[in-house]
Amino acid sequence: MKIILNGDTHSHEGNQSINSLLDELKVNKNHTAVMINGNVVPKENWNDQIINENDEVEVLVFVGGG
Amino acid sequence: MSDLLTFDNITLKSRLLIGTGKFSSIETMINSIKASETELVTVALKRFNKAKTEDDLYGPLLELKNVTLMPNTSGAMNAKEAIRAALLGRELSKSRFVKLEIHPNPHHLLPDPLETYEAAVELVKQDFLVLPYIPADPVLAKRLEDVGCAAVMPLGAPIGSGRGLATKDMIQIIIKESKVPVIVDAGIRSPSEAAESMELGCEAVLINSAIAAAEYPIKMAEAFQRAVKAGRIAFEAGLMSSTNSAIASSPLTSFLSSYD
Repeated sequence: MKIILNGDTHSHEGNQSINSLLDELKVNKNHTAVMINGNVVPKENWNDQIINENDEVEVLVFVGGG
Repeated sequence: MSDLLTFDNITLKSRLLIGTGKFSSIETMINSIKASETELVTVALKRFNKAKTEDDLYGPLLELKNVTLMPNTSGAMNAKEAIRAALLGRELSKSRFVKLEIHPNPHHLLPDPLETYEAAVELVKQDFLVLPYIPADPVLAKRLEDVGCAAVMPLGAPIGSGRGLATKDMIQIIIKESKVPVIVDAGIRSPSEAAESMELGCEAVLINSAIAAAEYPIKMAEAFQRAVKAGRIAFEAGLMSSTNSAIASSPLTSFLSSYD
């Protein structure tokens, strides 16, 4: 499945859940926020909400900032 | 009697807010936060980068006791993007605080007052404690207070410039008119400027570059911690009035000259 991940084209081989994508990226899920097509996806929906072909997915973390 | 900084039902003992950008290492940042005794620190959101996972400072921050996170909306070019950033930040921080900042021009990073106002209205409706970074404009500050912002944060000078309280006269007007805490955000370089802000009646200051870019950030964090406390106590003590002529503090009797 081809998606836009953090602005770049990305091929994801797992199932269509957000959790599956985060597992592939090896992110710390407790330190991550996810947005799909401009909508924030709460953590409790990560197992159920489906990522579709060509979705724009943003995976975000906290960094230093003033 | 304890002197607390209050936002809605949240009270803080420290009147020093710390930004986490520009530190040379996470360890220095954490130790600076500890030395500052701050209870509210700002963080930014960034795209996850597989090659740079050491950027993730959330873990170390979570280990700090008594520190609440205030995600900022840095990078937002307009109200819509800022609202999105705030919602993402809240997902992660689980805190109601948001530092609302919208500064579309990278050359001066001055806040966009119209977009900031529009975003503030919406974020207050969504139960955020909104702390907007704003130009030192008393009219805008009042309008943001009226729509329910938890504080207003006028800039002393442009972000990272270290030019101090260039907007002092306007900040004094904002303080006089404001019913919500006034927090100087941006521009401060030295602890004496932080102390001066507090003496004027600011309820807090937000410091980042002045600590992170100091030669010894941890030491500078301690200096700011003390300066903010000193400035606050001085404000409460009430400064003496000033005059243009001298008023003697010792008796001016002439007994020394009576033996010539």
